[in-house]
Amino acid sequence: MKWLSLLLPLLFLGVFLYAAVKKVKLYDAFAEGVKEALPLVFSLFPYLAAMLILSELFEKSGLSALVTGWLSPAFSFLGIPPEIAKLVLMKPFSGSGSTALLSEILHTYGADSYIGRCASCAYGSSETVFYISAVYFAGTKKRVLTPVLVSLAANFLGVIFACIFCRIL
Amino acid sequence: MFPTPSKRHILGGQSIKSSMNAIFAGVFAAATVLFLFLDPDGFLPAMLSGGEKAALLCLDLLAVYCVWLGFFKVLEKSGLAEKISRLFSPLAKKLFRTDDSEAIYCAGSNLSANMLGLPGAPTPLGIKATRRFLDTGNERAADLLFVLNATSLQLLPTTVIALRIAEGSAAPMDVFLPTLLSTLVSTLAGVLLLSLVHAVRRKG
Repeated sequence: MKWLSLLLPLLFLGVFLYAAVKKVKLYDAFAEGVKEALPLVFSLFPYLAAMLILSELFEKSGLSALVTGWLSPAFSFLGIPPEIAKLVLMKPFSGSGSTALLSEILHTYGADSYIGRCASCAYGSSETVFYISAVYFAGTKKRVLTPVLVSLAANFLGVIFACIFCRIL
Repeated sequence: MFPTPSKRHILGGQSIKSSMNAIFAGVFAAATVLFLFLDPDGFLPAMLSGGEKAALLCLDLLAVYCVWLGFFKVLEKSGLAEKISRLFSPLAKKLFRTDDSEAIYCAGSNLSANMLGLPGAPTPLGIKATRRFLDTGNERAADLLFVLNATSLQLLPTTVIALRIAEGSAAPMDVFLPTLLSTLVSTLAGVLLLSLVHAVRRKG
């Protein structure tokens, strides 16, 4: 893990030194880049707000628990332990929510148990699909259903395989 | 070198395709009916907490963009960005079927920042590449970039390993290989499935 903490400072140092050698006005250039940050966030905000309010309603209304309940027999059939069903369903919606869930699962079942390892792999091999779609396609004239469904299906397949790999590796 | 977001994107509210509108309406209605019967007083607090999350997330994003967009502008002005994009271009040209060097640079850097797990860096690059692809009518490339991002490319699952250490794991790195293999499965499946969908759509 040590190399990773060195990577970022070295990356910035290397690029800034190279730019200075190339006679780039560092202060001006950096500020010019930052200028793009505010319009970008402004253009994302309305769609993120709508999506996050929706996912909060989904979670707090109990709809998410209901759906988890319906799906967990199907999950067991596919070899996904019911203990991690909620994590698998949460991951596409919320990064922080699923991080909290993973930590809870590791605490309850033990990090080195099969459930713990399975949950770790399921978390690590999938992404927050709805969050990424809200950010990447915010306000564009784009059909988002195809890429979102494809990614959800692919991630789900990844989770099934993660449970298999955890058993045999 | 970076495209600024065009007006069309910023004002695109009414033009989001019906699929998203249908999902929004359906989930909203189902959740609201549940609230009505189970916990009518919890309805407004839940919505407000969603709004609060959006506001906080935007602040977080703004902080992240300040750092990375500043960094990327320096990278661009130094001429390094062009060198990097030239490095990527043979592969990216095949992958995304485009000659647009800006899109290639953004998409290529997005993917490599993703693999390295640089916190926050992939997002602004991914947005820029996506907008660039859509502006030039390259919907397939935008879909592909999204699927690659949304099926996780990260080589080292840093968050997972940190959490496992925190929970007292004896072998925190034990999940490295199975995670890498299942990520490979999901990414390959995503790309194959997407090509299949696009192939069927072209025929139909």
